[in-house]
Amino acid sequence: MMSLRIFSASLISAALLFNAGCSTFSQQQALQSNSVEQRISSLAALSKQSPITRTLDIQEWRTSAGTKVLFMAAPELPMFDLRLTFAAGSSKDQQTYGLANLTSAMLNEGTGTLDAGQIAARFEDLGAEFSAGSYRDMAVVSLRSLSDAKLSSPALELFSQVAAQPSFPAASLARIKNQLLAGFEYDKQNPGKLASLALFEQLYGEHPYAHSSSGNAESVPGISRQQLQEFHRNYYTAGNAQIALVGDLSIAQAKAISEKVSARLPQGTAAAVTPEPVKTPTSNTHIEFPSTQTHILLAQLSVKRGDPDYPALFLGNQILGGGGFGTRLMEEVREKRGLTYGIYSSLSPMQATGPFMINVQTRAQLSEATLQLVQDLLRDYLENGPTAAELADAKRESLGSFPLSAASNSAIVGQLAAIGFYDMPLSWMSDFMQDVQALTVEQVHAAFQRHLNPEQLVIVTAGPTVEQLPLPEPVDRSAASAPAGRQH
Amino acid sequence: MKKYLSYIVLFFSSTFIAPLMAQTTTTEFSLDNGLKVIVREDHRAPVVVSQLWYKVGSSYEKPGSTGLAHALEHMMFKGSSKLGPGESSRILRELGAEENAFTSDDYTAYYQVLARDRLAVALEMEADRLASLTLPEDEFLREIEVIKEERRMRTDDRPSGLAYERFKALAYPASGYHIPTIGWMHDLERMTIADLRDWHERWYAPNNATLVIVGDVQPDEVKTLVTRYFAKIPARPIPAVKQPLELAEPGQRSLTLYLKTQLPSLMMGFNVPSLSSTDKPTDVHALRLIGALLDGGSSSRLPAQLVRKQELVAGASAWYNAFARGDSLFVLSATPNVQKGKTLADVEAGLWQQLKQLQDTPPSTAELARVRAQVVAAEVYQQDSITSQATQIGTLETVGLSWRLQDTDLAALEAVTPADIQAAAKQFFTQSRATTLYVHPEEARP
Repeated sequence: MMSLRIFSASLISAALLFNAGCSTFSQQQALQSNSVEQRISSLAALSKQSPITRTLDIQEWRTSAGTKVLFMAAPELPMFDLRLTFAAGSSKDQQTYGLANLTSAMLNEGTGTLDAGQIAARFEDLGAEFSAGSYRDMAVVSLRSLSDAKLSSPALELFSQVAAQPSFPAASLARIKNQLLAGFEYDKQNPGKLASLALFEQLYGEHPYAHSSSGNAESVPGISRQQLQEFHRNYYTAGNAQIALVGDLSIAQAKAISEKVSARLPQGTAAAVTPEPVKTPTSNTHIEFPSTQTHILLAQLSVKRGDPDYPALFLGNQILGGGGFGTRLMEEVREKRGLTYGIYSSLSPMQATGPFMINVQTRAQLSEATLQLVQDLLRDYLENGPTAAELADAKRESLGSFPLSAASNSAIVGQLAAIGFYDMPLSWMSDFMQDVQALTVEQVHAAFQRHLNPEQLVIVTAGPTVEQLPLPEPVDRSAASAPAGRQH
Repeated sequence: MKKYLSYIVLFFSSTFIAPLMAQTTTTEFSLDNGLKVIVREDHRAPVVVSQLWYKVGSSYEKPGSTGLAHALEHMMFKGSSKLGPGESSRILRELGAEENAFTSDDYTAYYQVLARDRLAVALEMEADRLASLTLPEDEFLREIEVIKEERRMRTDDRPSGLAYERFKALAYPASGYHIPTIGWMHDLERMTIADLRDWHERWYAPNNATLVIVGDVQPDEVKTLVTRYFAKIPARPIPAVKQPLELAEPGQRSLTLYLKTQLPSLMMGFNVPSLSSTDKPTDVHALRLIGALLDGGSSSRLPAQLVRKQELVAGASAWYNAFARGDSLFVLSATPNVQKGKTLADVEAGLWQQLKQLQDTPPSTAELARVRAQVVAAEVYQQDSITSQATQIGTLETVGLSWRLQDTDLAALEAVTPADIQAAAKQFFTQSRATTLYVHPEEARP
């Protein structure tokens, strides 16, 4: 595998674009792909080419009510997407768990002049799609509409009313609470869900991220209409909102829309930033559940938005267990040993430090051995870091998948909403890619060691207590690069 | 190579005279070995999706050999003449591609979404595993364990998955649609690598596949690439395939399950035709509109009547797959509002009342206009995703219809009258076509 190749001119120019670290990238690429390129001729042709990316012409402004707007024109399809975000997630619940979620769920239940059925019928008459959702950091209110003004004007008018002037009718509140309670009952049949709820409680203790965004069966029944009105008045304000807008609109139309939507919102300022969680003690929790599989979660506090280590952690996590096939965890746990349908590691940077998490489920008899294997794999990765070849592959993957992140209006509006909400620069997507391409093995390794410690994990398992079996032998893939063909 | 320009001209109700034009360019050609290729141009972003659809799925399986179509889908990632086990996934990942595969009753499909300049790599590797899949036994012995884990996760440990599997087994007495795609556990236990080799040889031929490519490509360049990698794969005879047909009125059936759940639930299915199996397409389009009238949005009948007005259910849904290879099912499901003391019997009566209303009273013009407005808009929204465009084309072709149906679909729905809807409701929503499933919590077992 040690034959060095000279890489082509076009690759060098791509490397210059993404500055210094790319020389490592290209060299490694040549080393790695030698034998496979002999077998897959299209791959050999490809290494001379650099990927193309759609140019995103993003406009940013602030409305007179103080709402930040990010807009990109996409005139190709006669439609647009509007996403309104507020710092109004469950981290603002205080002691009333589920308040943010219930506020969000009640938005389209009434406006004073219209009831839930009339609101729904009006959107649907126009072919418009309304949705509202609530997470830990943010509340999101969205509209997708055709761009024909005869349809979009009344849809936007109704959207503004629903977002800005909900009436929270008492009868609807009782009904929605019942639906939430049914949802909590439903969760009880899902061991993965139960494990995840327990994990956040263990991981965050007294912090506002600890409780479920939906609240729970004890907290939800007591929530009053007045609490919803107050929550809305405090957090669904123009100063606490961002607008992302993508679609078949001129900049003048986009300005008029954002102006109108934000002017209707209550006046107010940005919500206080969520405080940092305190470091969690190591713990090991088991939930007894009569399933055939055991769900295993391992987690630790890891990183927040804006942390300069995030690109290194992101890239390192891609190698360990981010995405689908080909990660260390997937290779060792699923591919070589057949222990699970899926194993993933994830990093969730939030306004305050979010979790790093590994998630796997396996037949109950092998749960202890699988947990041990996963811990060993993580310990080894934190101790030794990724290999140079792994890093090169992961960089190339990031570069190659970049065009996919902006391929549709819905993908772009999602990116704009995140950039707006977390107050990142417009160039964030390309800055991030440059940072990722410049990383070295040492930097990734050091970032992992700074943020994660394999001896300080919060572990939750959910499944039955059964007699345990040893791990099966891994399949031998050492001959993988020289396949023996079975031809038809 | 033929080229089609289709203009989807959309008309709204009289309130909004707003014709919308969404132009798409779709090209169709076939190689000499029978591989059919459909290319839709979408030049919004420099990306492309490639999907290879095989006309084989779990409804083609036999008792004792269930789960083969899906197991082979897993084994397609375990190497071919140019590639070692798992290698194609690693290569595609390194190229930044999203790739995976899916199996259903009617099809097995493989896809890659990637930057447009990488399409050749996806096609070369896809062609290689069609022509020369390795199927190593040691990899199979690991992978079948993965599949059993998938079954445990999605079916055995998930009450809704388990309930639906049993429901289907009862609702389709005559056709292969009663077979669960993942396979019965006892069939997974006795599956061998020889079964899979046989399956691949039997069904995986270029003349049994449709390649769908949507994205920032030109038909000519696609034709050059597809010819380069696929043309040398010879056509092979494919076993004669019989359409999955059902008894029109199999008789009233019911099933009671006690599962690890806190909430009871109900499912009702009616044996009905699909667009492929009917000789009266109007019936099928009427059933599609009934699906939308019942559950097409938050203002439709199930949420408006059963969730909000009567507070009878915590949730309810209706769905109907008109695009199946054979006879289909119209399904309703609901969970009672237990906080209000509602029972499965109440819910069953409430659902029948909704069906009776469709039989007794034709829907109003305004209600139908609303449904059509949603259908029209959804058609535009769907074009935001190259993957959903490709999936629609691939599904239509694989179940024996044509992607060109997309051009006439809105007109077909427009042509359905309120009387057609009433007639379809009367014909199909009868006890003799119905299968009813009652799911109770384990604790309620008598």
